[in-house]
This record gives sequence, structure tokens and C-alpha cells, in this order.
Amino acid sequence: MSFGWKRGEAPAGAAERADPASVRFGDQLIAVLPRLRRFARGLAGAAADADDLVQAACERALARAHQFEEGTRFDSWMFRIVQTIWIDQLRAREVRKEDGDVAEERLGSDAAVRRVEARLALAEVRPAIQLLPPDQRSVLMLVTVEGLSYKEAAAVADVPVGTIMSRLARARVALQHHLDAGGGIRRSGNNAAAQ
Amino acid sequence: MQRHSDEALVAYLDGELDADERRHVEAWLDADPAVQERLTALARSDDLVRGAFADIVDEPVPARLIAAARGLSETVPGAAQEAEILVLKRPGWAAFPPQHRRWQIGLAAAAGLFGVIFGGAGTYFGMGLLNPANPAAEHRLAAAAANNNWLDNAAGYYKLTVNAGDNMLIDVPASNDPREALQKISQSLPQQVRVPDLKAWGLNFRGARLVVVEGKPAAQLVYVTDNKAIGPLTLVIGASKQPDIQPTFDRRQDVNMLYWRHQDRAYALVGQTDIGYLWGIANDVAWQLDAI
Repeated sequence: MSFGWKRGEAPAGAAERADPASVRFGDQLIAVLPRLRRFARGLAGAAADADDLVQAACERALARAHQFEEGTRFDSWMFRIVQTIWIDQLRAREVRKEDGDVAEERLGSDAAVRRVEARLALAEVRPAIQLLPPDQRSVLMLVTVEGLSYKEAAAVADVPVGTIMSRLARARVALQHHLDAGGGIRRSGNNAAAQ
Repeated sequence: MQRHSDEALVAYLDGELDADERRHVEAWLDADPAVQERLTALARSDDLVRGAFADIVDEPVPARLIAAARGLSETVPGAAQEAEILVLKRPGWAAFPPQHRRWQIGLAAAAGLFGVIFGGAGTYFGMGLLNPANPAAEHRLAAAAANNNWLDNAAGYYKLTVNAGDNMLIDVPASNDPREALQKISQSLPQQVRVPDLKAWGLNFRGARLVVVEGKPAAQLVYVTDNKAIGPLTLVIGASKQPDIQPTFDRRQDVNMLYWRHQDRAYALVGQTDIGYLWGIANDVAWQLDAI
């Protein structure tokens, strides 16, 4: 008997023991939930939206458990599902032209805009990340926060490693500009006003 | 050119360059202070990003997500409490008498016996209270009874320990060297016990208590933390003659448990944290103790 996981990264090696037909699949899913929530928070911004995303990903994962390849990373497989659903949602919003409204709701608040002096505070980083294009946001979360290698992130995003490198560099430079220039919050307020 | 420079610096920070590329970047850094500043700024923003998301994994996972992971999403809307109970159910649960009643009595018994810990008291808990309504249930109850008894005890001991707060009674307090505590407690146990290091979870070993599992002395390792979302936690390790079983969830009122048996040892990780965390911590325990 074995969990088959590595210390400090419980879900990562869970693939070794994955048995989609058994309750163990659900156990592995539960173990990876905290990291899925974090990843989803980076993508979606608002906590409730992120949890909705994770819930949808769980449902899809259970429906497609047979597609999981043993010997591959379970967490990467789940990250990919989360990302796919999120992109689908973004596209749907784009069609409905709701994207701007969502950004305004999440990012723009008078109280936040006034906190210019604290622009490098941690609380301001998350909104700044929301200003990044979706593909950059995702790769930044996968590599910088979740600690995936470029190769693993490339597998999740289904793009070449070189694309991961360029997206990451653009994401980090853009993020730095947002923070140095007064933070994403002020800028989001301006964007909201402009719309 | 600037874009390629940024890519190289970012990949350097991420440890994604091969030896030649790394040497090239380092020579570049040595030659140009402006590049050094750029690297420092990039590293700082990486730290900010990691820090901004660090706490999220410590948040309790909402019950609706656990239900979704169990394929019980349809029970979530407006029924979070029910969903939580369903998640932790075992097959045939409905045939069992109300668990909480037996457990409360088990807890009272545990409280009464606290301080007279050695001996075969473990089998006493909850006995005489199993009164199944039909023969089929009786058979299942008999099979589950031993297991339930010691889980009743594990939950009861947990509550006794935690309810005492800062005044919790520890038979062998952790000193600077946890091995010393275990050496002392192991003298009273059938087998040597080791203490898993759970600092990665923010859990500090507070000390060990002697308890009873299946009629034999066992160790209850107590871990505390400032993070209310995770701790305190206890890990009960005792001897067992019963067959090995996979890690399994169980619950007594507001106490969650993961228990398993492996190579003549019984383990129970007990706490009030989310079951997702319990799985992660149990995995860590198993890894450290070769206990699965």
C-alpha cells in the first residue's frame, strides 16, 4: 500500500497511484484542491469565481477520469483542466462583451485606488496580475507560484517551451511596470473610467 | 534585444538554463551593473507574486469543493451540511446506530480513565451499546466494532487534549530534541515510535501522551500551530494484530480522522482541519515513517 506521493507536494506524485475507477481518484482530487484554488484565484481573481472554476474542474475531471494517463503528474492534469475551463469562460464573456465589466468589478474600488503609497504591498500584486493577458497570467501562476518547470508548464498550456519562456518574460516585465508605475489598481481604475 | 535579455534573466532566475547559458548570463551580470539591478528587480517581483498567493493554500477548502471532488456536486446548493456528511459516509453507514451517541459515551469513558492509561481499557469503550436492529446489521457491526472502538478513543483523546488548551497534559513534553521524548515514551510501548517532522505544515511537536489502542499502550503525538485552519492535530500510533487497511476517512462529530493499519501498526491522524489537509499531512507522515 502506498500513497505514492512525495513529501511536501502531496498531489504531485499522486498519479502513480491513480485509479480513476476507485474512490482514490476523489481522494487525490481532494488533496490537490488547495493548490487548484490558488491557481484558480490567480486566473479568475475573485475567490467565489475561482472556487466555481475549481468546482467545474472537479466535475470535468471525474467525468474524464479515464483520460488521465498513469505515470503523469496528476496536479498538472488538473491545472490543465482548470485552465481550459477558464479560457472557455473568458471566450464566452468576450462574446457577451462582459469582460470589461468583470474587470471593473474585481479591480476598481475607490478605497483601493487611494492606496497608492502601498503600491508594492502584497495585496496589490493580485490585482496587478489580473491586468496581465490571460496566457501570461496562467504561465506566471504555473511557474512562479506553483513551481512547475517550463516543460511541465508547456504541457499544461499545450505550447512549446520557447513560448513559455517568452510569455513568462513578458509577464514579469509587465507586472513590474504595473507595480512600479503605481500598481495595477490605479491603472484599473483608469481603465474602468475610460470604459 | 531587450525581450531576449529579459527571457534569459527570467530563465536564469527559474533555473531553466543549461550550464553554457548560465555562464553566459553570469558573465553578462558581472560586466553590467544595470543588468544586475534588473535581475534583482525581477527576483523581487517574483517574491511578491509568491507571497501574494502563499496564504491561499492554508485556507479551509469549502465543503462544496470537497463534495464536487467526490462527485456529489448536486448535493451542494443549499445543503452544504448534508454534503459534508455524505462525503465522509462509508458504505453501509445507514445500518449503524447513531455514531455520535456511542462516541459521546466513549469520550466520557476515556475521560474517566484518563490518568489510568495503561492496561486493557481500550476494548471497554462503547461496548454494550451496540444494539443493531437486524441480524445483517449485527454481523457488520461486529466486524466494524473493534475499528470503531479505537477510533472512538482516538477522537476522545483528541478532544481531551485539545479542550485543555494551553493546559493540556503531556506525559512526555517535547524538549529541544523530540527523539528524547519518544525514547522515553517508547519504553512503555510494544514498538519503537518515531516522531514525524510536520514543520512544513506549520505544526510543531508539543509532546507525546500514552493512550490505549486495542487494549495496548499507544503513543498520541500532539502537534500545535497558530494556524487555526490546520491544527492542533494528534497522531495516534499503536500496535495492532489486525490486517492492513488503506487510509480511510472517519468522523466523530466535529473531529475528522484518517486511519490506516500497516505491518502490525495502527495509525490515526486526528484533527478538526479540512480533510484535504489531513490527506496531505497523512501522506507526509507515511512518507517519513514508511508507514503505508
